[in-house]
Amino acid sequence: MVTLELDQPGKIVLMMGDEAIARGAIEAGVDFCASYPGTPATEITESLARVADRFNIYVEWSTNEIVAFEAATAASLAGLRALVAMKQNGINVCADFLMTVNLAGTNGGLVLVAADDPSAISSSNEQDSRSYARYADLPLLEPADFQEAKDMTKWAFEVSEKLGLPCIMRSVTRLSHSRGNVKLGELPEKKRTAKFEGIYISGAFAAAQHAALHQKLEQAREEFESSPFNFYVGPKKARFVIVTSGSGWLYSREAVAALGLENKVVILKIGTTWPLPEKFIVEHLKNVTEILIVEEVDPFLEQNLKILLAEQAKTLGPIEVYGAKSGHRPAYGEMNQDKVAQALASIKGLKTRARDGKYVEKAKELLLSYIPIRMPTFCTGCPHRASLWAIKSALKLDGRDGFVTGDIGCYSLGAGPAGYFQLKTIHCMGGGIGLANGFGKLDKFGFNQPVIAVCGDSTFYHAAIPALINARVNNSNVLMVVLDNGGTAMTGFQPHPGSGCDALGRPAPTVEIENICKAIGVEVRVRDPFEISQAVQELYDMLQESGPRVMVFRRRCFRIEAKEKLQKKYYVDQSKCIGDDCGCARFCSRVFNCPGIIWDQEAQRAKIDEVVCTGCGVCATLCPRGAIMVRGVAS
Amino acid sequence: MQAGKSSSDLEQEVFSQDLCTSCGACVNICPYIKVVKDKVAVIEPCGLTEGKCYDFCPRTLTDIAALDKSVFGKTRTDYSLGPYISIEMAQAKDSEIRCRAQYGGVVSALMKYALETGEISNAVLTRPFDVALMPSSVLVEESNQMAECAGSNYVSSATLAKMNEAAKQGKDSLGLVGIPCQVIALRKMQSSKHETGARGVKLVIGLFCTWALSYKGFSEFLKGKVDLTKVKRIDIPPPPANVMVVETAAGDVKFSLDEVRKFIKPTCGVCYDMTSEFADISVGMVEGIEDWNTLIVRTPAGKKFIDKAKKADVLNTRPLEQARLEHLKQASSIKKKRAIDAIQKRTNDKKNLLYLRLNAQEKRKYV
Repeated sequence: MVTLELDQPGKIVLMMGDEAIARGAIEAGVDFCASYPGTPATEITESLARVADRFNIYVEWSTNEIVAFEAATAASLAGLRALVAMKQNGINVCADFLMTVNLAGTNGGLVLVAADDPSAISSSNEQDSRSYARYADLPLLEPADFQEAKDMTKWAFEVSEKLGLPCIMRSVTRLSHSRGNVKLGELPEKKRTAKFEGIYISGAFAAAQHAALHQKLEQAREEFESSPFNFYVGPKKARFVIVTSGSGWLYSREAVAALGLENKVVILKIGTTWPLPEKFIVEHLKNVTEILIVEEVDPFLEQNLKILLAEQAKTLGPIEVYGAKSGHRPAYGEMNQDKVAQALASIKGLKTRARDGKYVEKAKELLLSYIPIRMPTFCTGCPHRASLWAIKSALKLDGRDGFVTGDIGCYSLGAGPAGYFQLKTIHCMGGGIGLANGFGKLDKFGFNQPVIAVCGDSTFYHAAIPALINARVNNSNVLMVVLDNGGTAMTGFQPHPGSGCDALGRPAPTVEIENICKAIGVEVRVRDPFEISQAVQELYDMLQESGPRVMVFRRRCFRIEAKEKLQKKYYVDQSKCIGDDCGCARFCSRVFNCPGIIWDQEAQRAKIDEVVCTGCGVCATLCPRGAIMVRGVAS
Repeated sequence: MQAGKSSSDLEQEVFSQDLCTSCGACVNICPYIKVVKDKVAVIEPCGLTEGKCYDFCPRTLTDIAALDKSVFGKTRTDYSLGPYISIEMAQAKDSEIRCRAQYGGVVSALMKYALETGEISNAVLTRPFDVALMPSSVLVEESNQMAECAGSNYVSSATLAKMNEAAKQGKDSLGLVGIPCQVIALRKMQSSKHETGARGVKLVIGLFCTWALSYKGFSEFLKGKVDLTKVKRIDIPPPPANVMVVETAAGDVKFSLDEVRKFIKPTCGVCYDMTSEFADISVGMVEGIEDWNTLIVRTPAGKKFIDKAKKADVLNTRPLEQARLEHLKQASSIKKKRAIDAIQKRTNDKKNLLYLRLNAQEKRKYV
């Protein structure tokens, strides 16, 4: 039995933050979950999908985030409890719906989990999604540990239902993706049936609705004043207070302990960060002269708190505020215990016991004497490597200084050495083909460079179709290359409309990329990038044409393929490989650069690393000596 | 030959100067240089400081006297047509071959004979209209596979890339039909210090060539006018017609040669060789006579082969009249003179002949 299913209230289990959020939803009796995958939010929906049958939850991977949010809202309007989870970029995709559903209101509990990725560890941007709550006048919760991740999720449904508004909950990578202890609660008995009643229209009375929304927010503030997720630790009469939220809570506690300030510094931890529980905060800031604000990324709490301090200046008197504005905390990147300790030490005039400033450099120096420098690269057998080599070759042969507009997916690595530096732009999902639309209409200004827009299969469905239609009706000179590896690979191979299965792995209808292209009226070809010389020729031919064109490079992600099927085993016939006498200048291990090909120092020949080789065989077609051979099928 | 030049130099001195002839000499000898249609490119610099690609190229330093010595064992005395043993008119005896051929069918007849008698085991030939007007180089083992290789196209394919590929497959004793730039590159390969499959080429038939067209420009030009997949034959009748005739299943279409000239590859303007001076045997048209060829026998190996072919009754021959010979020499000399002028215009320096190194007598005649 998975931990998520345990019906043992009070039992303490180890849970990933995302799992804790899923468990909280289960304890709230969630009925409906729709999401689009995105790090670090993916595991919330994956967890719910695993127990969907057991708890009678409908779970889907939607085509994109706004569709997911709209679908989940429908469940709420029918009186069900619904959850939608996404990474920060997804919130932007949702924004249009968000700014109307706040006015039109909801019925059953609707929770929107915004999982931010500070430091953009697995993202194309760094963004603090909390501002959306203030912008849309919606309640915002920030869990600070794993227990809160579960408990707050459960409570978020109640908050939503009380206010008739979606409740936003913000997680961050370190919470979503690390593990901690969680005390389980009770599993509810679910009795809800779906029935739609009422009218949910924003627009006609938008101004009046906006005023009503502000009242709802005041109601939320009242609710938050007594929330157990806002609390105070430390001595009774401290003059110095750390005000913190989210991941800042644990970092602050560690830093205070590390500096031995437990008896001098108070930590005021806020779990309901919009709207702020003003009375609760003011009550705890009386007699305080200095505040350090610890939060992750934007000075969201800081700015809202400063407004409150200004409003309460008569009651509270002058208070020195340290945070991002004062330079005591960077307003970008992940927080950690050291950053908090350094801020505390500089304010208090203490010596930190944090690691010395040159620690990272020293560690690098030490490590690099043992570990070779390795750039991020595609997996062995990745079809994107072959596709990008084909694109590079075709553009070079074409010779008109063509370039590639990139998009979001594993293939974004194509901006670096893994993809031979081919991608020249990367923005949001669908941004590549959108940009290419514009480049493709610059001919009257002397522009004659061919433009290739690359786009993954999942991205194609998610965000590329309107831009492709635009290219068609405006006859833009753009060659779109869909890198179709059969799933949403970067987030863990979740299904998409072309996959033929649903979030629970059951068979589902497929929507074919080439049929969409044909319906739009653009020329479309489908090729296997592993047949690389054919791929180069066809791409070259397509580059010579004008108007919108689509090449689908279709080859299943090899990490999946290798798990499903027996693969051929390759080796280098070292009597055929002539090493540095070849004139290929170690093409396979140095330039094509698949991690499955290594240089055998002793033999001075190329060698296949059989541990990582997945047997795609592309290198064998590129070796000028024909020295890379098939041995048979690996078990 | 120059030492220490790399693919990057080739890119700089040849490709980026529009001097590539698409001969294919540099293709299929490494993973870095590729050809699609008639476009050749260095996909990624290999990082080596010295490359075969550079040395083999017909547009890098080409020392005519040194090539004369390595191919013929002596330097030339004829500065119009290059070294030769005999010149005559010839045609294939087989009327079926003549029927399919551009002119007299001599090349087809000789290659067929060479394959059938085991003189060569494989022939690198060109299928003139493969896909939408683009010719393709093919490796032929049996003479009955040759039918589609008859006729001329004014777009060239990377014949030597196919030769390199054949060599990689272990084929030797090859015959090859090529245009002058391809023959020069082949001879540079054979006389180089490098390991190369070109040494397996035993019989080289060179074609006369005044210029070739760039595929992209020419095919785009023709696209709106004829169905590219239905082209059967392209011909340029002798002056003063000044036309190109494209024969298709749906009938002939004529264009002014002036329209077509726009698509001549820039590199053809600096070409010094009209008659494939370094081939074993050179074959071209006879101006004004449709079903005969001019046949120039140049090397002893070429002579030996032609003598055998004649004995085997493969060819009809007759002497080339003096006036025609003079006319041919004049045409060849004009091409050389124009090439020198074009080169000097490019370099803006009377003494800098780019890739060409001529001996003193030739210089006196043309520079």
